[in-house]
Amino acid sequence: MADTRAAAETAERGGAEDAQAVEALPPEQPGLPPSEWIRKNLFSSPFNSVLTVAFGLLALLIVRGLLNFTFSEERNWDAVRTNLRLIFTHAYPEEQYSRIWVCVGTIAVLAGLSVGLAAAETARRGVSVRKLSSSLVAMGATVALGVVLREPSALTDIEGRVRRDDSGIMRESFAEAMTDRWAWWLAAAVLASAGAALWFGFGDERRRETYVRPVELFMVGSAVLVLSGWIYPWGHYAFADGEFIAEPGRTVAMSTKLPWTVIWLLLAAAIAAGRSMRRAGAGPNFTLALNLCWLACPFVLYWVVLRDPDLDWGRVLSVDIPLGVLFAALGGAVLWLLTDQRIGELGRIIATLLMGVAVLNWVAGFFGWYPMLQKVRLSFLLVALAALVAHNFAGERSKRLRLLAVWVALMAVFHYMATLMNSPSTVETPTEALIGGFSVTLIVASFTLLFSFPLGVMLALARTSRLPIFRVMSTSFIEVVRGVPLITILLFFAVMLQLFLPDGMSISLIAAATLGYTLFSAAYLAENVRGGLQSIRRGQYEASDAVGLTAMQRTLFIVLPQALRVSIPPLVGQVIATFKETSLLAVIGAFDLLRMANNVIPSQTQFLGVKREGLLFVCLVYWVFAYAMSKHSQRLEKRLGVGER
Amino acid sequence: MSVSDATTALTEALAARDDMIVCEGVNKWFGDFQALDEISAVIKEREVVVVLGPSGSGKSTWIRCINRLEVHQEGRIVVDGIELSNDLRNIEKIRSEVGMVFQQFNLFPHLTVLDNITLAPIWVRKKPKRESDDTARSLLERVGIPEQAEKYPGQLSGGQQQRVAIARALAMEPRIMLFDEPTSALDPEMIKEVLDVMKELARSGMTMMVVTHEMGFAREVADRVIFMEEGQIVETGTPEHFFTDPREERTKLFLSQIL
Ligand SMILES: Nc1ncnc2c1ncn2[C@@H]1O[C@H](COP(=O)(O)OP(=O)(O)O)[C@@H](O)[C@H]1O
Ligand SMILES: [Mg+2]
Repeated sequence: MADTRAAAETAERGGAEDAQAVEALPPEQPGLPPSEWIRKNLFSSPFNSVLTVAFGLLALLIVRGLLNFTFSEERNWDAVRTNLRLIFTHAYPEEQYSRIWVCVGTIAVLAGLSVGLAAAETARRGVSVRKLSSSLVAMGATVALGVVLREPSALTDIEGRVRRDDSGIMRESFAEAMTDRWAWWLAAAVLASAGAALWFGFGDERRRETYVRPVELFMVGSAVLVLSGWIYPWGHYAFADGEFIAEPGRTVAMSTKLPWTVIWLLLAAAIAAGRSMRRAGAGPNFTLALNLCWLACPFVLYWVVLRDPDLDWGRVLSVDIPLGVLFAALGGAVLWLLTDQRIGELGRIIATLLMGVAVLNWVAGFFGWYPMLQKVRLSFLLVALAALVAHNFAGERSKRLRLLAVWVALMAVFHYMATLMNSPSTVETPTEALIGGFSVTLIVASFTLLFSFPLGVMLALARTSRLPIFRVMSTSFIEVVRGVPLITILLFFAVMLQLFLPDGMSISLIAAATLGYTLFSAAYLAENVRGGLQSIRRGQYEASDAVGLTAMQRTLFIVLPQALRVSIPPLVGQVIATFKETSLLAVIGAFDLLRMANNVIPSQTQFLGVKREGLLFVCLVYWVFAYAMSKHSQRLEKRLGVGER
Repeated sequence: MSVSDATTALTEALAARDDMIVCEGVNKWFGDFQALDEISAVIKEREVVVVLGPSGSGKSTWIRCINRLEVHQEGRIVVDGIELSNDLRNIEKIRSEVGMVFQQFNLFPHLTVLDNITLAPIWVRKKPKRESDDTARSLLERVGIPEQAEKYPGQLSGGQQQRVAIARALAMEPRIMLFDEPTSALDPEMIKEVLDVMKELARSGMTMMVVTHEMGFAREVADRVIFMEEGQIVETGTPEHFFTDPREERTKLFLSQIL
C-alpha cells in the first residue's frame, strides 16, 4: 500500500521508469477482436501481407521438418527412455539412489520456501485467466496443427521393420494417419476445451482481473506429470550391454513415481509454509537463514549426502575437533580484542604480526621448512584476515558478540567441511567420478557460481582500487583469462594442474575443471561488476567519506550493494553461460550430460550409433533450465528494483 | 624547540581561542590551474559564514578542503584544533567533527531514510542501534519529516531529501556544518523548507559555513559574508556592510549582477 502511494509520487516527479516495478499492474485492457488484430498487425499493407505469408510458410515448413524428424520411425527414442538414469546420474549406484532423492527433495524444499516467502505482494501478478485460457486454446490448436502437418507414419511389418517398395518407404494414407493419431487429437481437444471452459466459466470482467501465479501453473503442470506416472508407465525397460537398465518389468515411471510424488508434496508444503511465514511477518533474519541454507546446500548435498563420507572417529576426536575449537577460540579472542574501541594502534600491530605469521606458514610450506596441515594454514590465514578488517566492525557489546558468533560458525563450517573432504567416500562407483550426467553439470555449475562470484567481486574491486599493485595484478589476470579460450583453460587445468601440486596431493578431473571454470567465469563477472562500480556516482563516495565511513565500510555498505544491483542482468547472463559451458566437460573427458548423449549411449551394443535422439533430449534439458533461470532473473530484477532511486 | 613542537604549540594556542576553522595561506592547484590562491580566514565558534562568488571561483573547492574531500597543497588548515594532514587518524577525527551537505543531496538510494541517518553513527561512532534510531527519529522531527523514516530517498521530494541529508550530517553530532549550495538543485517552492531548517540550526548555535546564492538567507542569518573570485578572497564583512556598502569594485559588479 505504502509502496504504491510512494511510487505514484515518484511517477509524478518523473521517475516513471523506476516506479513501474513497484506499482501494481493495471487491469488488462480489453484487446482488439482477433480479426481486427490480424488485419492490423499481419496484413496492414500488401508488402506486409506478403511477408506474413512467406514467413508463415517457412515457419510451417520448419515445424513440419522438426516433427517428421522427432516422430520418424528411424528415431529410436528407447535410447533415451532406457538411459534416463545414465543421462541424469551416470554410474551412481542404484542401491544408493535414495541419496539422489534426498538431494532433489532438499532442493525442492528450499525452492518452495524461497518462492513462498517471495510471493508477490500485489494480487495482480502472473497470468490473467483471459491470457491463460486463450493460451490453452492456442496450445490445443498447435497440437492439432502438428498432427496434420506431420507426414503419415511408415508402414511396418510384424517385426517392426519399416516396409519399403520401389518408391521408398511405404506410408499409410493421410486418412489413416489422422485416425491413428486419435490420442493426439484427444490431447488437443482436452487442452482446447480446458481453455474454453476457463473462458466461459469467468465473466469478461473477472477473466481480466483474476490472475494465476506462475508457481501455481507450475504446480498444476507438475502434478499432472507426476500423476501420469501412476497411470501410464512412462519410460522403457531394457538391457544395455547385458545389464538391466531398470528393474525387470519396471519402467522409469514405475520406479520414480513414488519419490516424485513425495517431492511434489514436499514442494507444495514448502510453498505453503513459506507463504504463511511471510504472512506471519517472517523478517529479514529468516530470509538470511534461508539464503545461508542455499549457500550450504551444494556443499552438504555433495560431500555429505551423495558421498556418504567414512569418518575416522579416532582422528576426528583427537585432531579435527580440537583444531576447530582451537581456531574458533583463538580467532574469537583476537576479534574480541581488536573490536575494542580502546585498542587503537596496538590493534593494527597485532593484525600485521598475525598476517606475517600466516604468510610465513605458506612460505614455509612451499619450501618444506616445517610440516603443517593445510587446513591449519588456511585457518591461520582466516584469523589474520579477520584481524586485519576487525576495526571496521568495532562497536557495542552486542555487535561484537554477533561478530564472534559469525566467526565461530565460520570455523565450525570450515573445519567440518575440511574433515568431510578429507574422508573417503563409502559410495562405490565403477567410474572414477562419483557421479556424472546431468548431476555433474549441476554440481560444476553451482560450485563455479559459488566460488567465482566472490572472486569476481574482489577482482573488480582490485581493478578499481587506488593501489597500483592490486590494479596491475587484477587487470593482468582478467586480460589473460579473457584472452584465452575457455576450452584451452579447461584442458590446461585438466592436464597440467596435477604437475603443479605438491607431492601427495591429487585433484580429480572434475575439481580441476571446476577450478578452471571458476577462474574463467570470475574474470568475466569481474568486468560486469566493474561496470556496476563505474555506474556509481562520485557523490556516493563523497557522502560516505563526509560521514566518516572507512574505505572498507564504504565498499561494503554503500558501493557494492548498489553496484551489484545494477549488474544483476549481466551477472545472470554470465551464470546461464557458465551453466551451458559446462558441456565442455565432455571434451576434457568427464562424463557430463553431453558426453552421455554423444558418446556413452551410442556405444551401447543395443543402441549402437544412436546419437540424434540423445542430443535432441540434451538440448531440451539445457534449454528448460537456462530458460527457467532467465525468467527467474527477470523477476529478481523487478523485485530488487524496489526502493531504488 | 623543534618545528613540530612549535607547530603543536601554535595549534594549541589557536585551539585555546574559540577558533573553529583556521585557514592560513591555503593554495590548491588542479594540474596547472590554481583553484585556491592564498586563502586565509578564521571562523569562530557559533559563527555563520556565507561564502559568495561567481561560479568557478573556488567556493566548493575551499569548503571541500575543510573536511579533506579535496587535498590542499600549500598552507595550513586547522579544524577545531586538529591540523589537516595526511595522517589517517586526523582525517577520521575531522570527518566526525564536520558535517557536510551537498548540492545533489547524495543520499544512499538503497537504504531507507532511517538507515541513511543511522549508518554512520552505528559504524563510525559505534553507537548502539537502538540509541541511533531514537536520535535519528528525533532529528527527522527536527527537520520536519518524522513520517518519512521508513521510505527510500527516491520516494521523497527534493526538499525532503535535502532535509534528510541535513539530518544525516547532524546525526554524527558535528561541531561544524558545511553546506555547498544546498538549495541550488531544488525547485523554488522547496527552497524555503530547507532554508528554514538551516536558520533553525544557525539559531541553535551551530558553527556553519554556507555556500549559497540565497541573498535573503545571507542577510538574515549570516554573521559574516566572504566574497570569492578566481580562487581569492576578495572581500569580507558583515551582511549590512557587504550588501549596502561594498568596498571592492569586483564585489559591486557581482552584486549588481545577481541582485
Ligand atoms: N576535480 C577537478 N579537477 C580539475 N578542475 C577542477 C576540479 N574541481 C574543480 N575544478 C576547477 O576549479 C575551479 C573552482 O571550482 P569550484 O570550487 O567547483 O567553483 P565554485 O564552487 O565556486 O563554482 C573551477 O574552475 C573548476 O573548473
Ligand atoms: Mg560549487
